[in-house]
Amino acid sequence: MSDQTDTTPRQPDSNGDRYHLLIEFAHKHLDFQIAELESVLDMHGISLGDDEECRIIALPNANKTKLKTRHGKTVQVHRVKDSGSGAVTSRRPFLILSLPRTSKWIPNNDETQTNNIASIILERCTLVRNVMELWGMGTSIEECAMAAKDWIQNYTLGKLTFSRVSSESWKLTVHTLGAKYTYEEQGVMRSHVSHLGFSGPVQMKDPTNEYVLIHEIELNETGSPLYPRHSPEGKIISENDARPPIACYFARTLCGTRQHKGRGKEQYSLKNRTYLGPTSMDAELSSIMTNLGHCKEGTIAFDPFVGTGSILLSCALRGAFCIGTDIDFRILKGRSKDENIESNFRQFNLPKPELIRSDNSIHHRHFRTTSPMYDAIICDPPYGIRAGARKSGSRLTNPKPVPEDQRHDHIAQTRPYPVSDVMADLLDVAARNLVLGGRLVYIIPSYADFDDECDLPRHECLRIVHICYQPLGSELGRRMVTMEKIGEYDVSKRETHYLVSTWVNGPESAEKCANIREKILENAKLKPGYESKLEIRKQKRKANKEAKRIAKRAAADNFTD
Amino acid sequence: MRLLTHNYLQSNVKGTEEGYPLGIVPETVEIEKSPVDRELLLSILPKLNYDAVHQAVAQLRLHCSTLPKLPSTLPENISNDENLVNDLYFVLFDVHVKNGCLVCPATQRKFPIKDGIPNMILHEDEI
Repeated sequence: MSDQTDTTPRQPDSNGDRYHLLIEFAHKHLDFQIAELESVLDMHGISLGDDEECRIIALPNANKTKLKTRHGKTVQVHRVKDSGSGAVTSRRPFLILSLPRTSKWIPNNDETQTNNIASIILERCTLVRNVMELWGMGTSIEECAMAAKDWIQNYTLGKLTFSRVSSESWKLTVHTLGAKYTYEEQGVMRSHVSHLGFSGPVQMKDPTNEYVLIHEIELNETGSPLYPRHSPEGKIISENDARPPIACYFARTLCGTRQHKGRGKEQYSLKNRTYLGPTSMDAELSSIMTNLGHCKEGTIAFDPFVGTGSILLSCALRGAFCIGTDIDFRILKGRSKDENIESNFRQFNLPKPELIRSDNSIHHRHFRTTSPMYDAIICDPPYGIRAGARKSGSRLTNPKPVPEDQRHDHIAQTRPYPVSDVMADLLDVAARNLVLGGRLVYIIPSYADFDDECDLPRHECLRIVHICYQPLGSELGRRMVTMEKIGEYDVSKRETHYLVSTWVNGPESAEKCANIREKILENAKLKPGYESKLEIRKQKRKANKEAKRIAKRAAADNFTD
Repeated sequence: MRLLTHNYLQSNVKGTEEGYPLGIVPETVEIEKSPVDRELLLSILPKLNYDAVHQAVAQLRLHCSTLPKLPSTLPENISNDENLVNDLYFVLFDVHVKNGCLVCPATQRKFPIKDGIPNMILHEDEI
């Protein structure tokens, strides 16, 4: 946000008298935050952009005029190219949305209002921690308190809001993002806003309104304070000198107090599921995927590499009807009646998904494709890092025919399925089977040399909406790509056009997301101490094997006794 | 396997032209009632091959007498007919073929259904 020039100051009773919503993000998956927010708002027909009703405005920045280096550290601004809105995100955990005063999405106390922008965001955005109504902001507490006072005294919306809420019960929370202030120091901060004059009773437990005074300091990429509290000589510096605020906000929490938010999400964690595999998708990421894919009630979601069904489960939690296919029958069937995909769905009282053993490389031969059925295709394709891809057919060009009498229990042969084809087929299946406007969301791993512009697979009928990058190390990372179907599929162009134009740079691009496992292993070999670590691992494996063997023999002995 | 899925599956053996709709030979059929999702039903109804639904219900009725009787052609303006909407939803979403097989109408190739999962994978000489 720091590079943006538009600060859109509020002007009393004019177009500038806008409603400001302050959003606080959890400090993770930084690159996914705006994409997720944009997708969720888009689902309700709210578009985010500089020329739209709803736009992002710049955060105050006390360091803007200062040098970018302090304590010898360079402050890196994490920039993200964003489609559509042109927004730039920093690693600051706040974002301000500005809406016109007359917008129907502004939260008010009218009970007939079923949907407002705050409840929409809080209901779905996995990465949002809190949504607040911004009363004032500034680069210092004084400035912020002045702005809040100005708003409630001189602006129509501010006056209305204040007269409505000031007599209700309230409490004031000081939020300092990891910086530690003593009770007295917090008291001083509170005193700056005491002149606002709330007439309602103070209530610490479950008040009607929770006001938050936020003291934002600079954070590093892990979400901890950027500057240490110790001077190089080891002396403790006072908090305000060590980590001065880069911005302060005064806001009213919407849709319940801070402490009630973010509860109940743990129940969906992978560790609470009955059936898991090595490639099960983390609950948080798959929940983001459902938002990017616009999964909701009355829609159909499809995962062609369903595995243990972890992605579909998240889609089902959003109310989508789920269909999954996989080529591996063992994983579809699960370990037992209580350890399979169905048992995971049963656990959360969700309708069971439709599972079909089929091969995505010939999806159009398994399924009728005349009328597209899926609203979203959401998947984590097999890249051969933990699980390699297979497709049906023999490695031989002329396979031996299966004898008639052995046909019914014959195990069909499969052959390796190169990543370049996996992706070409996936995009083609999506282009053919998604409804217009339907979305494809997938994950693709990559090394540092990956270029979004020319290395991502393409399809004439699909447009890229979001690319979110998740670093997994200094070199390795993965991208979550969201595409939208924008054109009707023409079957006659499949072989001649669609399948051959998937990779912009041909085999060179396709090669970049293939053989990632080999690349990881090669890189590991270059690290110092690889040989000795390998030896230790070998010994451990041997010991484990031996222990298992002894245990097995002991059990057998017990049995015969 | 629900009948919704059946409506989309087709036989895919090399050289098969008329592999749709697949016949159903049920062994076990389970019924699991679920709340009617009207919106979902009305959005997929135009995409369905109704004749295939009708045929599938006829084949399953021998095995499961509680299936409702569906009209042989789908009337226009179905959204006003609450009973028919409910019946169609029940047929498409609440009836699960647990075990049995699907049969290709052209080649008689059988695709087994086991634990509710149809196995559409082809043998290497059918690709």
